[in-house]
Amino acid sequence: MMSNKKLTKKDVSKASWRWLFFHQSSHNYERMMGTGFCHSLSGSLEKLYEDDKEGLSEALTRNMAFFNTEPQLGSIIPGVALALEESYANDKENFDPEIIPSTKNALMGPLAGIGDSILVGTLNPILLSIGIGLSKDGSPLGAIFFMIVWVALVVALKYSLFIKGYQLGLDTIKILMNNELKMKITTALTMIGLIVIGGVASTTVKAPIIVQFTSGDMAITIQSIFDKITPNLPALLITLASYYLVAKKGWNSNKLLIGILGFAFIMVLFKIM
Amino acid sequence: MELWQAVLIGLFAYLGRNQVPWLFGTTGGWYGIGRPLVAGAIIGLILGDVKTGVLCGVAVQAIFIGQITPGGAVPSDLNLAAYIGIPLAMVSGGTPETAVALAVPLGALGVGLHNFTMTTQSAFAHRADKFAANGNARGIRMANITGTSISFVERFFIVTLTCYFGASFAENILNSLPAVVLSFLAVGGKMLPALGFAILLNQITSEKWMIALFILGWTLTSSLTITTTTLVFIAVAIALVYVMAKYSGNKAQALAASMKGDEYDE
Repeated sequence: MMSNKKLTKKDVSKASWRWLFFHQSSHNYERMMGTGFCHSLSGSLEKLYEDDKEGLSEALTRNMAFFNTEPQLGSIIPGVALALEESYANDKENFDPEIIPSTKNALMGPLAGIGDSILVGTLNPILLSIGIGLSKDGSPLGAIFFMIVWVALVVALKYSLFIKGYQLGLDTIKILMNNELKMKITTALTMIGLIVIGGVASTTVKAPIIVQFTSGDMAITIQSIFDKITPNLPALLITLASYYLVAKKGWNSNKLLIGILGFAFIMVLFKIM
Repeated sequence: MELWQAVLIGLFAYLGRNQVPWLFGTTGGWYGIGRPLVAGAIIGLILGDVKTGVLCGVAVQAIFIGQITPGGAVPSDLNLAAYIGIPLAMVSGGTPETAVALAVPLGALGVGLHNFTMTTQSAFAHRADKFAANGNARGIRMANITGTSISFVERFFIVTLTCYFGASFAENILNSLPAVVLSFLAVGGKMLPALGFAILLNQITSEKWMIALFILGWTLTSSLTITTTTLVFIAVAIALVYVMAKYSGNKAQALAASMKGDEYDE
Protein backbone atom coordinates (compact mmCIF):
# COMPACT_ATOMS: atom_id res chain seq x y z
CA MET A 1 0.00 0.00 0.00
CA MET A 2 1.61 3.22 -1.12
CA SER A 3 0.22 6.46 0.18
CA ASN A 4 1.46 9.99 -0.15
CA LYS A 5 1.52 11.83 3.12
CA LYS A 6 4.24 14.44 2.92
CA LEU A 7 5.53 16.41 5.84
CA THR A 8 5.83 20.11 5.09
CA LYS A 9 8.80 22.30 5.91
CA LYS A 10 6.76 23.68 8.75
CA ASP A 11 6.18 20.25 10.29
CA VAL A 12 9.89 19.49 10.26
CA SER A 13 10.76 22.89 11.65
CA LYS A 14 8.26 22.42 14.47
CA ALA A 15 9.73 19.03 15.34
CA SER A 16 13.18 20.61 15.38
CA TRP A 17 12.11 23.35 17.79
CA ARG A 18 10.44 20.79 20.02
CA TRP A 19 13.68 18.82 20.21
CA LEU A 20 15.68 21.99 20.76
CA PHE A 21 13.70 22.91 23.86
CA PHE A 22 12.30 19.72 25.32
CA HIS A 23 14.96 17.03 24.67
CA GLN A 24 15.61 16.52 28.35
CA SER A 25 12.47 17.91 29.93
CA SER A 26 11.76 14.64 31.72
CA HIS A 27 15.28 13.22 31.50
CA ASN A 28 15.59 10.15 33.71
CA TYR A 29 17.92 7.21 34.31
CA GLU A 30 15.45 4.69 32.87
CA ARG A 31 14.82 6.12 29.38
CA MET A 32 17.17 9.12 29.39
CA MET A 33 15.95 11.30 26.47
CA GLY A 34 13.39 8.75 25.19
CA THR A 35 10.33 10.79 26.12
CA GLY A 36 11.91 13.92 24.67
CA PHE A 37 12.60 12.05 21.44
CA CYS A 38 8.97 10.95 21.12
CA HIS A 39 7.79 14.47 22.04
CA SER A 40 9.86 15.94 19.22
CA LEU A 41 8.43 13.63 16.55
CA SER A 42 4.90 13.39 17.98
CA GLY A 43 3.33 16.23 15.95
CA SER A 44 4.59 14.86 12.64
CA LEU A 45 3.53 11.32 13.56
CA GLU A 46 0.00 12.61 14.27
CA LYS A 47 -0.06 13.97 10.75
CA LEU A 48 1.38 10.83 9.13
CA TYR A 49 -1.18 8.63 10.91
CA GLU A 50 -4.11 11.04 10.75
CA ASP A 51 -6.74 8.33 10.30
CA ASP A 52 -4.85 5.33 11.66
CA LYS A 53 -5.05 5.28 15.45
CA GLU A 54 -3.34 1.92 15.71
CA GLY A 55 -0.48 2.96 13.47
CA LEU A 56 -0.06 6.13 15.52
CA SER A 57 0.16 4.33 18.84
CA GLU A 58 2.62 1.88 17.33
CA ALA A 59 4.79 4.71 16.01
CA LEU A 60 4.64 6.63 19.29
CA THR A 61 5.58 3.54 21.30
CA ARG A 62 8.47 2.84 18.92
CA ASN A 63 9.89 6.28 19.61
CA MET A 64 9.51 6.10 23.39
CA ALA A 65 12.46 3.70 23.64
CA PHE A 66 15.64 4.44 25.57
CA PHE A 67 17.61 7.16 23.84
CA ASN A 68 20.69 8.98 24.98
CA THR A 69 23.20 11.17 23.18
CA GLU A 70 24.74 14.61 23.35
CA PRO A 71 21.49 16.45 22.57
CA GLN A 72 23.02 19.48 20.84
CA LEU A 73 25.12 17.86 18.15
CA GLY A 74 22.90 14.77 18.37
CA SER A 75 19.84 16.71 17.16
CA ILE A 76 20.67 15.25 13.75
CA ILE A 77 19.36 11.86 14.98
CA PRO A 78 15.67 12.76 15.56
CA GLY A 79 15.90 14.47 12.15
CA VAL A 80 17.03 11.23 10.50
CA ALA A 81 14.42 9.24 12.42
CA LEU A 82 11.69 11.59 11.23
CA ALA A 83 12.66 11.04 7.59
CA LEU A 84 12.60 7.27 8.15
CA GLU A 85 9.23 7.42 9.91
CA GLU A 86 7.85 9.34 6.93
CA SER A 87 9.14 6.74 4.46
CA TYR A 88 7.71 3.92 6.55
CA ALA A 89 4.28 5.54 6.92
CA ASN A 90 4.08 5.93 3.15
CA ASP A 91 5.28 2.49 2.15
CA LYS A 92 4.63 0.01 4.92
CA GLU A 93 5.11 -3.10 2.81
CA ASN A 94 8.56 -2.39 1.49
CA PHE A 95 10.09 -0.65 4.48
CA ASP A 96 11.25 -2.54 7.51
CA PRO A 97 10.43 -0.40 10.62
CA GLU A 98 13.23 -2.13 12.51
CA ILE A 99 15.64 0.10 10.63
CA ILE A 100 14.40 3.12 12.63
CA PRO A 101 15.48 2.01 16.14
CA SER A 102 18.65 0.40 14.79
CA THR A 103 19.66 3.63 13.05
CA LYS A 104 19.02 5.58 16.26
CA ASN A 105 21.06 3.13 18.27
CA ALA A 106 23.90 3.17 15.76
CA LEU A 107 24.12 6.97 15.74
CA MET A 108 23.60 7.89 19.38
CA GLY A 109 26.91 6.60 20.72
CA PRO A 110 29.25 8.16 18.15
CA LEU A 111 27.40 11.50 18.25
CA ALA A 112 27.55 11.56 22.05
CA GLY A 113 31.29 11.09 21.74
CA ILE A 114 31.78 13.82 19.15
CA GLY A 115 29.37 16.21 20.89
CA ASP A 116 30.93 15.75 24.31
CA SER A 117 34.45 16.24 23.02
CA ILE A 118 33.94 19.04 20.47
CA LEU A 119 31.01 21.06 21.78
CA VAL A 120 30.82 20.80 25.55
CA GLY A 121 34.36 19.57 26.14
CA THR A 122 36.22 22.07 23.96
CA LEU A 123 34.11 24.88 22.49
CA ASN A 124 32.30 25.62 25.76
CA PRO A 125 35.53 25.86 27.81
CA ILE A 126 37.21 27.98 25.11
CA LEU A 127 34.37 30.50 25.14
CA LEU A 128 34.27 30.39 28.95
CA SER A 129 38.02 31.03 29.02
CA ILE A 130 37.64 34.08 26.81
CA GLY A 131 34.78 35.16 29.09
CA ILE A 132 36.93 34.72 32.20
CA GLY A 133 39.62 36.82 30.50
CA LEU A 134 37.14 39.62 29.79
CA SER A 135 35.62 39.42 33.29
CA LYS A 136 38.69 39.05 35.45
CA ASP A 137 38.45 42.63 36.68
CA GLY A 138 34.81 42.19 37.66
CA SER A 139 33.20 43.41 34.45
CA PRO A 140 30.09 41.45 33.39
CA LEU A 141 31.23 41.74 29.77
CA GLY A 142 32.76 38.26 29.76
CA ALA A 143 29.55 36.63 30.97
CA ILE A 144 27.52 38.51 28.35
CA PHE A 145 30.00 37.66 25.60
CA PHE A 146 29.95 33.98 26.54
CA MET A 147 26.14 33.78 26.64
CA ILE A 148 25.58 35.51 23.30
CA VAL A 149 28.25 33.66 21.32
CA TRP A 150 27.59 30.23 22.83
CA VAL A 151 23.80 30.35 22.58
CA ALA A 152 23.75 31.87 19.07
CA LEU A 153 26.26 29.35 17.71
CA VAL A 154 24.82 26.26 19.31
CA VAL A 155 21.13 27.02 18.81
CA ALA A 156 21.76 27.63 15.10
CA LEU A 157 23.75 24.40 14.92
CA LYS A 158 21.16 22.38 16.85
CA TYR A 159 18.29 23.60 14.68
CA SER A 160 20.02 23.18 11.33
CA LEU A 161 21.48 19.76 12.16
CA PHE A 162 17.96 18.44 12.81
CA ILE A 163 16.79 19.77 9.44
CA LYS A 164 19.92 18.40 7.75
CA GLY A 165 19.31 14.99 9.29
CA TYR A 166 15.76 14.98 7.94
CA GLN A 167 16.90 15.98 4.45
CA LEU A 168 19.70 13.44 4.26
CA GLY A 169 17.95 10.53 5.94
CA LEU A 170 20.13 7.45 5.86
CA ASP A 171 22.84 9.28 3.87
CA THR A 172 23.69 10.99 7.17
CA ILE A 173 25.56 7.89 8.25
CA LYS A 174 27.87 8.10 5.22
CA ILE A 175 28.68 11.71 5.95
CA LEU A 176 29.31 11.06 9.62
CA MET A 177 31.82 8.42 8.64
CA ASN A 178 33.93 11.14 7.02
CA ASN A 179 36.72 11.02 9.55
CA GLU A 180 38.94 13.60 7.91
CA LEU A 181 36.59 16.52 8.48
CA LYS A 182 36.01 15.38 12.05
CA MET A 183 39.74 15.15 12.68
CA LYS A 184 40.39 18.58 11.17
CA ILE A 185 37.76 20.26 13.33
CA THR A 186 38.76 18.41 16.48
CA THR A 187 42.47 19.08 16.03
CA ALA A 188 42.04 22.77 15.25
CA LEU A 189 39.64 23.32 18.15
CA THR A 190 41.85 21.41 20.56
CA MET A 191 44.91 23.44 19.61
CA ILE A 192 43.09 26.77 19.88
CA GLY A 193 41.59 25.61 23.16
CA LEU A 194 44.90 24.64 24.72
CA ILE A 195 46.60 27.95 23.88
CA VAL A 196 43.66 30.09 25.06
CA ILE A 197 43.11 28.01 28.17
CA GLY A 198 46.82 28.31 28.96
CA GLY A 199 46.51 32.09 28.80
CA VAL A 200 43.48 32.18 31.05
CA ALA A 201 44.99 29.69 33.49
CA SER A 202 48.05 31.94 33.85
CA THR A 203 45.87 34.73 35.21
CA THR A 204 43.60 32.48 37.30
CA VAL A 205 45.84 30.00 39.08
CA LYS A 206 47.98 31.70 41.71
CA ALA A 207 50.55 30.45 44.14
CA PRO A 208 51.81 33.51 46.03
CA ILE A 209 55.04 32.69 47.89
CA ILE A 210 55.65 35.05 50.78
CA VAL A 211 58.78 33.54 52.27
CA GLN A 212 61.91 35.67 51.86
CA PHE A 213 65.62 35.63 52.65
CA THR A 214 67.06 38.47 54.63
CA SER A 215 70.68 39.35 55.13
CA GLY A 216 71.21 42.69 56.73
CA ASP A 217 69.05 45.23 54.92
CA MET A 218 68.65 43.01 51.89
CA ALA A 219 65.44 41.04 51.51
CA ILE A 220 64.95 38.78 48.54
CA THR A 221 61.57 37.16 48.05
CA ILE A 222 61.47 33.74 46.50
CA GLN A 223 58.61 34.97 44.33
CA SER A 224 60.83 37.59 42.68
CA ILE A 225 63.41 34.94 41.81
CA PHE A 226 60.76 32.83 40.14
CA ASP A 227 59.32 35.85 38.37
CA LYS A 228 62.71 36.49 36.79
CA ILE A 229 62.70 33.02 35.28
CA THR A 230 59.14 33.37 34.00
CA PRO A 231 56.25 35.16 35.71
CA ASN A 232 53.93 33.07 37.87
CA LEU A 233 56.17 30.01 37.50
CA PRO A 234 55.12 28.25 40.77
CA ALA A 235 51.48 28.28 39.66
CA LEU A 236 52.45 26.84 36.26
CA LEU A 237 54.38 24.05 37.98
CA ILE A 238 51.44 23.29 40.27
CA THR A 239 49.07 23.16 37.29
CA LEU A 240 51.38 20.87 35.31
CA ALA A 241 51.88 18.64 38.36
CA SER A 242 48.08 18.42 38.75
CA TYR A 243 47.76 17.46 35.10
CA TYR A 244 50.44 14.81 35.55
CA LEU A 245 48.60 13.32 38.52
CA VAL A 246 45.32 13.17 36.58
CA ALA A 247 46.73 11.94 33.28
CA LYS A 248 49.47 9.59 34.43
CA LYS A 249 48.55 8.59 37.97
CA GLY A 250 44.82 8.36 37.30
CA TRP A 251 43.80 10.75 40.09
CA ASN A 252 40.12 11.75 39.93
CA SER A 253 38.98 15.27 40.74
CA ASN A 254 38.12 14.49 44.38
CA LYS A 255 41.55 13.06 45.07
CA LEU A 256 43.21 16.01 43.37
CA LEU A 257 41.01 18.42 45.32
CA ILE A 258 42.17 16.94 48.61
CA GLY A 259 45.74 16.89 47.31
CA ILE A 260 45.75 20.59 46.42
CA LEU A 261 44.06 21.58 49.68
CA GLY A 262 46.55 19.46 51.62
CA PHE A 263 49.42 21.15 49.79
CA ALA A 264 47.91 24.57 50.54
CA PHE A 265 47.56 23.58 54.21
CA ILE A 266 51.24 22.64 54.49
CA MET A 267 52.29 25.84 52.69
CA VAL A 268 50.25 27.97 55.08
CA LEU A 269 51.40 26.01 58.13
CA PHE A 270 55.06 26.65 57.32
CA LYS A 271 54.27 30.23 56.31
CA ILE A 272 55.67 29.67 52.82
CA MET A 273 52.53 31.07 51.16
CA MET B 1 19.19 38.84 52.00
CA GLU B 2 15.66 39.90 51.13
CA LEU B 3 13.14 37.18 50.37
CA TRP B 4 12.60 38.46 46.80
CA GLN B 5 16.30 38.20 46.14
CA ALA B 6 16.40 34.60 47.37
CA VAL B 7 13.33 33.79 45.23
CA LEU B 8 14.94 35.28 42.11
CA ILE B 9 18.18 33.39 42.71
CA GLY B 10 16.18 30.17 43.17
CA LEU B 11 14.34 30.84 39.92
CA PHE B 12 17.54 31.35 37.94
CA ALA B 13 19.05 28.25 39.56
CA TYR B 14 16.07 26.27 38.27
CA LEU B 15 16.35 27.79 34.77
CA GLY B 16 20.05 26.94 34.67
CA ARG B 17 19.61 23.42 35.97
CA ASN B 18 20.48 20.45 33.80
CA GLN B 19 17.48 19.27 31.70
CA VAL B 20 15.31 22.36 32.15
CA PRO B 21 13.80 23.21 28.74
CA TRP B 22 12.99 26.92 28.85
CA LEU B 23 16.26 28.46 27.60
CA PHE B 24 16.79 26.46 24.40
CA GLY B 25 17.11 23.26 26.37
CA THR B 26 20.49 22.41 27.77
CA THR B 27 22.21 25.08 25.62
CA GLY B 28 21.01 28.23 27.39
CA GLY B 29 20.30 26.44 30.66
CA TRP B 30 22.91 24.02 32.02
CA TYR B 31 25.63 25.06 29.55
CA GLY B 32 24.53 28.73 29.57
CA ILE B 33 23.27 30.47 32.70
CA GLY B 34 24.19 27.40 34.73
CA ARG B 35 27.89 28.16 34.23
CA PRO B 36 29.29 29.88 37.35
CA LEU B 37 30.69 32.75 35.22
CA VAL B 38 27.18 33.71 34.09
CA ALA B 39 25.58 32.78 37.41
CA GLY B 40 27.98 35.15 39.17
CA ALA B 41 26.91 38.09 36.99
CA ILE B 42 23.20 37.28 37.49
CA ILE B 43 23.55 36.87 41.26
CA GLY B 44 25.61 40.06 41.44
CA LEU B 45 22.85 41.93 39.62
CA ILE B 46 20.18 40.54 41.99
CA LEU B 47 22.20 41.36 45.10
CA GLY B 48 23.17 44.81 43.81
CA ASP B 49 26.93 44.23 43.46
CA VAL B 50 27.73 43.05 39.96
CA LYS B 51 31.49 43.36 40.36
CA THR B 52 31.76 41.08 43.41
CA GLY B 53 29.32 38.65 41.81
CA VAL B 54 31.40 38.43 38.64
CA LEU B 55 34.65 38.00 40.58
CA CYS B 56 33.12 35.15 42.61
CA GLY B 57 31.74 33.66 39.38
CA VAL B 58 35.16 33.76 37.72
CA ALA B 59 36.78 32.05 40.71
CA VAL B 60 34.20 29.25 40.89
CA GLN B 61 34.14 28.87 37.10
CA ALA B 62 37.87 28.27 36.93
CA ILE B 63 37.62 25.20 39.18
CA PHE B 64 34.75 23.71 37.21
CA ILE B 65 35.96 24.65 33.72
CA GLY B 66 36.63 21.09 32.64
CA GLN B 67 33.21 19.89 33.65
CA ILE B 68 31.17 17.94 31.11
CA THR B 69 28.12 15.82 31.76
CA PRO B 70 28.48 12.56 29.86
CA GLY B 71 25.37 10.40 29.77
CA GLY B 72 23.55 12.51 32.33
CA ALA B 73 26.09 11.60 35.02
CA VAL B 74 27.05 14.78 36.83
CA PRO B 75 30.53 14.55 38.42
CA SER B 76 29.86 17.70 40.42
CA ASP B 77 26.74 19.86 40.39
CA LEU B 78 28.18 23.24 39.50
CA ASN B 79 24.72 24.79 39.28
CA LEU B 80 24.10 24.22 43.00
CA ALA B 81 27.71 25.15 43.73
CA ALA B 82 27.30 28.53 42.00
CA TYR B 83 23.74 29.46 42.93
CA ILE B 84 24.21 28.77 46.65
CA GLY B 85 27.97 29.26 47.05
CA ILE B 86 28.23 32.67 45.37
CA PRO B 87 25.25 34.40 47.09
CA LEU B 88 26.20 33.07 50.53
CA ALA B 89 29.79 34.21 50.06
CA MET B 90 28.59 37.63 48.91
CA VAL B 91 26.15 38.34 51.74
CA SER B 92 28.57 37.18 54.41
CA GLY B 93 31.07 39.71 53.10
CA GLY B 94 33.39 37.04 51.80
CA THR B 95 35.92 37.05 49.00
CA PRO B 96 35.94 34.98 45.79
CA GLU B 97 38.02 32.45 47.75
CA THR B 98 35.11 32.07 50.19
CA ALA B 99 32.80 31.39 47.28
CA VAL B 100 35.19 28.67 46.12
CA ALA B 101 35.37 27.15 49.60
CA LEU B 102 31.56 27.00 49.77
CA ALA B 103 31.10 25.88 46.18
CA VAL B 104 33.23 22.75 46.31
CA PRO B 105 31.25 20.81 48.98
CA LEU B 106 27.97 22.12 47.54
CA GLY B 107 28.94 20.70 44.16
CA ALA B 108 29.35 17.26 45.72
CA LEU B 109 26.07 17.57 47.63
CA GLY B 110 24.28 18.51 44.42
CA VAL B 111 25.16 15.16 42.85
CA GLY B 112 22.85 13.45 45.35
CA LEU B 113 20.00 15.81 44.47
CA HIS B 114 20.62 15.26 40.79
CA ASN B 115 20.41 11.49 41.20
CA PHE B 116 17.15 11.84 43.12
CA THR B 117 15.59 13.91 40.33
CA MET B 118 16.90 11.68 37.56
CA THR B 119 15.35 8.68 39.30
CA THR B 120 11.93 10.11 40.13
CA GLN B 121 11.46 11.67 36.70
CA SER B 122 11.06 8.12 35.33
CA ALA B 123 7.43 8.35 36.47
CA PHE B 124 6.78 10.74 33.59
CA ALA B 125 8.17 8.29 31.04
CA HIS B 126 5.71 5.71 32.36
CA ARG B 127 2.85 8.19 32.00
CA ALA B 128 3.98 8.86 28.44
CA ASP B 129 4.04 5.10 27.74
CA LYS B 130 0.33 4.92 28.56
CA PHE B 131 -0.44 7.85 26.27
CA ALA B 132 1.59 6.21 23.50
CA ALA B 133 -0.42 3.00 23.85
CA ASN B 134 -3.61 5.03 23.39
CA GLY B 135 -2.24 6.98 20.44
CA ASN B 136 -2.43 10.24 22.38
CA ALA B 137 0.45 12.39 21.08
CA ARG B 138 -0.61 15.46 22.99
CA GLY B 139 -0.55 13.47 26.24
CA ILE B 140 3.06 12.48 25.58
CA ARG B 141 4.03 16.10 25.07
CA MET B 142 2.31 17.12 28.28
CA ALA B 143 3.96 14.27 30.22
CA ASN B 144 7.37 15.29 28.91
CA ILE B 145 6.88 18.98 29.67
CA THR B 146 5.44 18.41 33.16
CA GLY B 147 8.42 16.19 33.95
CA THR B 148 10.34 19.38 34.66
CA SER B 149 8.14 19.98 37.73
CA ILE B 150 10.35 17.68 39.80
CA SER B 151 13.42 19.66 38.77
CA PHE B 152 11.58 22.83 39.73
CA VAL B 153 10.59 21.63 43.19
CA GLU B 154 14.05 20.25 43.83
CA ARG B 155 16.09 23.22 42.61
CA PHE B 156 13.91 26.27 43.25
CA PHE B 157 12.97 25.46 46.83
CA ILE B 158 16.34 24.17 47.96
CA VAL B 159 18.26 27.13 46.54
CA THR B 160 15.75 29.77 47.69
CA LEU B 161 15.46 28.43 51.23
CA THR B 162 19.19 27.85 51.65
CA CYS B 163 20.03 31.34 50.39
CA TYR B 164 17.36 32.95 52.57
CA PHE B 165 18.00 31.13 55.83
CA GLY B 166 21.66 30.25 55.27
CA ALA B 167 22.94 33.81 54.90
CA SER B 168 23.25 34.69 58.58
CA PHE B 169 24.44 31.17 59.34
CA ALA B 170 27.27 31.44 56.80
CA GLU B 171 28.16 34.89 58.09
CA ASN B 172 28.44 33.62 61.69
CA ILE B 173 30.66 30.75 60.67
CA LEU B 174 32.96 32.94 58.59
CA ASN B 175 33.26 35.51 61.36
CA SER B 176 34.19 32.93 63.95
CA LEU B 177 36.92 31.28 61.88
CA PRO B 178 40.47 31.80 63.18
CA ALA B 179 42.91 33.73 61.01
CA VAL B 180 44.99 30.70 60.07
CA VAL B 181 41.94 28.95 58.61
CA LEU B 182 41.06 32.06 56.63
CA SER B 183 44.53 32.29 55.13
CA PHE B 184 44.38 28.57 54.36
CA LEU B 185 41.09 29.14 52.52
CA ALA B 186 42.62 32.09 50.67
CA VAL B 187 45.71 30.16 49.53
CA GLY B 188 43.69 27.02 48.74
CA GLY B 189 41.19 29.06 46.77
CA LYS B 190 43.95 30.66 44.72
CA MET B 191 45.48 27.29 43.83
CA LEU B 192 42.29 25.27 43.29
CA PRO B 193 41.74 26.50 39.70
CA ALA B 194 44.73 24.24 38.88
CA LEU B 195 42.28 21.39 39.46
CA GLY B 196 39.84 22.59 36.83
CA PHE B 197 42.58 23.19 34.28
CA ALA B 198 44.24 19.82 34.96
CA ILE B 199 40.97 17.96 34.36
CA LEU B 200 40.33 19.99 31.22
CA LEU B 201 43.84 19.39 29.88
CA ASN B 202 43.51 15.68 30.42
CA GLN B 203 40.18 15.73 28.63
CA ILE B 204 41.12 17.61 25.49
CA THR B 205 44.75 16.71 24.76
CA SER B 206 44.72 13.87 22.25
CA GLU B 207 48.51 13.75 21.97
CA LYS B 208 51.12 14.42 24.63
CA TRP B 209 53.04 17.11 22.77
CA MET B 210 49.96 19.32 22.83
CA ILE B 211 50.76 20.26 26.43
CA ALA B 212 53.40 22.54 24.89
CA LEU B 213 50.54 24.64 23.47
CA PHE B 214 49.12 25.15 26.96
CA ILE B 215 52.53 26.29 28.20
CA LEU B 216 52.83 28.57 25.16
CA GLY B 217 49.52 30.26 25.98
CA TRP B 218 50.47 30.55 29.64
CA THR B 219 53.90 32.09 29.09
CA LEU B 220 52.74 34.45 26.32
CA THR B 221 50.05 35.86 28.57
CA SER B 222 52.08 36.08 31.75
CA SER B 223 55.13 37.64 30.09
CA LEU B 224 53.51 40.01 27.60
CA THR B 225 50.55 42.26 28.17
CA ILE B 226 48.11 40.77 25.70
CA THR B 227 44.35 40.35 25.99
CA THR B 228 42.61 37.00 25.69
CA THR B 229 41.18 38.09 22.35
CA THR B 230 44.67 38.72 20.97
CA LEU B 231 45.66 35.29 22.19
CA VAL B 232 42.67 33.78 20.36
CA PHE B 233 43.90 35.25 17.05
CA ILE B 234 47.40 33.87 17.63
CA ALA B 235 45.93 30.48 18.54
CA VAL B 236 43.72 30.34 15.44
CA ALA B 237 46.71 31.12 13.23
CA ILE B 238 48.84 28.38 14.79
CA ALA B 239 46.00 25.84 14.58
CA LEU B 240 45.31 26.67 10.94
CA VAL B 241 48.94 26.33 9.94
CA TYR B 242 49.12 22.94 11.60
CA VAL B 243 45.85 21.57 10.23
CA MET B 244 46.56 22.81 6.70
CA ALA B 245 50.04 21.35 6.70
CA LYS B 246 48.94 18.03 8.12
CA TYR B 247 45.85 17.34 6.07
CA SER B 248 46.23 19.10 2.72
CA GLY B 249 48.73 16.51 1.46
CA ASN B 250 46.25 13.74 2.05
CA LYS B 251 43.54 15.29 -0.07
CA ALA B 252 44.58 13.71 -3.36
CA GLN B 253 44.97 10.32 -1.75
CA ALA B 254 41.62 10.50 0.00
CA LEU B 255 39.91 11.52 -3.24
CA ALA B 256 41.47 8.64 -5.12
CA ALA B 257 40.44 6.23 -2.40
CA SER B 258 36.83 7.43 -2.36
CA MET B 259 36.61 7.19 -6.19
CA LYS B 260 37.88 3.66 -6.03
CA GLY B 261 35.17 2.93 -3.45
CA ASP B 262 32.45 4.31 -5.75
CA GLU B 263 33.54 2.13 -8.63
CA TYR B 264 33.38 -0.87 -6.39
CA ASP B 265 29.81 0.02 -5.35
CA GLU B 266 28.65 0.20 -8.92
